[in-house]
Amino acid sequence: MITVQAALAGALIGGLYALMAAGLSVTWGVLRVINLAHFGLILVGAYLTYQLVSAWGFDPLVTVVVTAPLLFVAGAALQWVYDRLNIVEFNSLLVSFGLLMIAIQVATNVWTADFRRMAARDNAYATGSVELGGGLVLPTTTLLAFTFAVLIVGGGHVVLRTTFLGRGMRAFAQDRTVAAAFGIDHRRLGLVLGGVAGASAAVAGMIFALGNSLTPATAYEWFGTVFAVVILGGVGNLLGTLLAGVGVGVLSGLVSVIWSPSTEPFALFLAIILALLLRPQGLFRRGGVA
Amino acid sequence: MTVRTGLIGLAGAAAVLAVLVQFNAALGLPAYLIVLMVTILFWIAQATSWNLLSGFAGYFSFGQGAYVGVGAYSMAVLTGRNDVNFLISIPVGGLLGGLLALGVGAVAFRLRSLRGEIFALLTLAVPFILAAYARITHSIDGGQGTTIPLPGFPSWIADFQHLLFFLELAVAVVAVGVALAVHGSRFGRGLAAVHDAEDAAEVLGVPTFRYKMLAIVLGGAIGGMSGALYALQTGFVTVENVFGLTIPLFVIVMSVLGGRRHWLGPVIGAALIVVLEDRLAAFGLESWSSIILGALLAGLVVLAPEGLYQRLRTHPWIALTTFAVVLVGLSITGYWAEVDAILYAMLSAAVVAIVLDRFHRKPPKAAPPKAAPSKAAAPGEEAEPPEPLIPAQIAEPDGRVLVSCRDVVRDFGGVRALDKVSLEVSEGEIVGLVGPNGSGKTTLVNLLSGALAPTAGTIAIGGQQIAGMAAHRVAHTGVARTYQIPKPFASMSVRDNVAMAVMFGRRGASLAEARHRAEQHLATVHLAHLADAPPSALNLHQRQLLEMARAIAAEPLVLLLDEALAGLNPAEIDDAVAVIRRIHATGVSIILVEHLLRVLHHLATRIVVLDRGRLIAEGEPSAVLSDPAVVTAYLGRQRA
Repeated sequence: MITVQAALAGALIGGLYALMAAGLSVTWGVLRVINLAHFGLILVGAYLTYQLVSAWGFDPLVTVVVTAPLLFVAGAALQWVYDRLNIVEFNSLLVSFGLLMIAIQVATNVWTADFRRMAARDNAYATGSVELGGGLVLPTTTLLAFTFAVLIVGGGHVVLRTTFLGRGMRAFAQDRTVAAAFGIDHRRLGLVLGGVAGASAAVAGMIFALGNSLTPATAYEWFGTVFAVVILGGVGNLLGTLLAGVGVGVLSGLVSVIWSPSTEPFALFLAIILALLLRPQGLFRRGGVA
Repeated sequence: MTVRTGLIGLAGAAAVLAVLVQFNAALGLPAYLIVLMVTILFWIAQATSWNLLSGFAGYFSFGQGAYVGVGAYSMAVLTGRNDVNFLISIPVGGLLGGLLALGVGAVAFRLRSLRGEIFALLTLAVPFILAAYARITHSIDGGQGTTIPLPGFPSWIADFQHLLFFLELAVAVVAVGVALAVHGSRFGRGLAAVHDAEDAAEVLGVPTFRYKMLAIVLGGAIGGMSGALYALQTGFVTVENVFGLTIPLFVIVMSVLGGRRHWLGPVIGAALIVVLEDRLAAFGLESWSSIILGALLAGLVVLAPEGLYQRLRTHPWIALTTFAVVLVGLSITGYWAEVDAILYAMLSAAVVAIVLDRFHRKPPKAAPPKAAPSKAAAPGEEAEPPEPLIPAQIAEPDGRVLVSCRDVVRDFGGVRALDKVSLEVSEGEIVGLVGPNGSGKTTLVNLLSGALAPTAGTIAIGGQQIAGMAAHRVAHTGVARTYQIPKPFASMSVRDNVAMAVMFGRRGASLAEARHRAEQHLATVHLAHLADAPPSALNLHQRQLLEMARAIAAEPLVLLLDEALAGLNPAEIDDAVAVIRRIHATGVSIILVEHLLRVLHHLATRIVVLDRGRLIAEGEPSAVLSDPAVVTAYLGRQRA
């Protein structure tokens, strides 16, 4: 029973991984920008949620109304800079690495390196749980993570598959020149996409802050898991990202129960390395942007 | 500058520094300068270690922390916990760093897909795994950190800082010496070629896998040794300190700032960044240092990706003089503390170099005389350009079989690109390989050059089986190829592009000898007048010619030309055809992939037609081109 519980909880937490990975995956797949600064946006989103809840008594879920537009603008602005200076692929990795360091240092200067956590009375979600039959208990935070992931990542997938905007993006991912020749305005497309990625970072940050303590260095700890999800899911493939997020969540849940929590990083990084070696194009071939 | 003079200079500089520090009390040098120098030397070793693979060969790594960590924990566990002499822990750290690098390289370089950003992300994972391992293993760390006691040292060393200085100096000298020797060697040229165009380097005969392995292992060993010193220097090792992302950020910023393609780049970058950091700390701005470094990295990648060294070397004496004048000036006035003076002197030298470079930018070095074909043939200059290479005997088609394919099959996933193709090419032939798009022509070229291995069947070049052989060894059996889209080595002149092929070709040569012979090959393709130009100054036609020059410089038995005429205008086609004939006249057999049937009709001695992976016709050109099956395949059913 304990393994079933662990696998289920892992699958739900996997939703958070997918939320964090979605923006990274789409900008990489469509705009060819590997935006490490995305982790910085998630971090800032998490701290803003903490700040709004602790200082002004917002309900944690409502903070998204403020943070998502803010980070939409930040994400769009970032993309505007990348586009203007023609920073793509490898250079984007370097530039955004620098930007990430700046974001982490700014977070340290503003909120200090100490652990910050929303007080229990402000954050009812942290302690809540839903009981299923047979002794299975699911914490509210993980249910929220999964719900938002399905809504946003799954919704993003549907938008990319079915709408005109989505078709434009897919065309653009496959061949920029031809897409441009057919009248697809890549600048505007990029801004919208960068903005949406930023907004998704706000949601991911909010979800993370619900259930965890914050310290600036956590941004590094996301690296491994999130890149594993991006690559396993296939760069630019949102449905794949969602599935990979759940898969990675289940894997780490099971590993930490069957062996010990401290072996979790090994399992994860082994998963990334195997993913890179065996299927650098992702586990799920078709169905995505790229 | 040769490697030899470079090494002598390095040894001289190290000796001067050592003497200054040993007698610093008598000379009036304050002790904090020694502490600063210890830090600079540490980062010089680290940045140089990173630069061997990531700078020279272009395989960017975010995993430098792994080597520092392995070295630091060698010192922590051996000396800190088990009282082993620190002089043993340092080489152990180097050994373990080298072994770790060997493991990473063996996994990463086996796979061609692991390039660029994917390689960088893989290296990001390595320190994380090691950190997790160290955290849970109590005999290494267990999450508490490890203290290293002050070691004992002989009495001729004044104090612990002096000891550290001598150790750091030794490791830094080894690091820079290795980088300098690599940079000036055949190995270094090979790494630069890997950086510019890895596939092209491999088919020209550069053993890319071995070179990358050697570079990563050297880097790992140096990083490990220097990491062991880091533990000794800080006296306390924690997982977060060594395996975090600060170390990769520092080495990347230093190398990008200084310049990644030259051994001196990381040295300049390390010195400047450490002094800058020191001053930031002195002004109480530590919390800004990551922000400034991050912004510096982002700015540099955009504004000056080639680094300071490139700018400094155009006016080395002016920069050096500026440095000296500002330093002495500020010190004499006594207005600024010493380290400030050093920082301002460095910054002024850098600014002067950049500004001079901006305003004095010479037109690209050897301004290529654009209309040179006629000029090269001018009567007065006849003695000047070297003679095209014309062998004493023009090879007669004597029937010796050079290329022999038997039932070659190649699948890509579920798609069969080549289906039981059998083909022989004999000495002296020009075989035209035609077929509609997607018929398997380029796949066949890739198989013959060893870039791909056949799924089934055998391929022999000059009687030697090549299936499963690395492409650079296939090149040494006597195959050379050109690419449909030219892949020149962007950082080298046209002459050096060709010289690379001579150096790594079947016979091999020193760089000087190779450059000399390159002139002849450039003359063969009528490109001698552009020998000093960078490849970026060439038009498409000239790039195609450069591809050919590079291919024949490897002195092949068989030359594979993959659509060498694509995209050329009629005059350029005539010119290229003449070049191909000249190459053929030197005794090289040619396999020519081409769509222009009219050209092939005149040029080829035999034509082979592929359609959907199968060989559907071969024989004398006019017979093949009127074969109904060929016409159907090429022009569609209605015309047949």
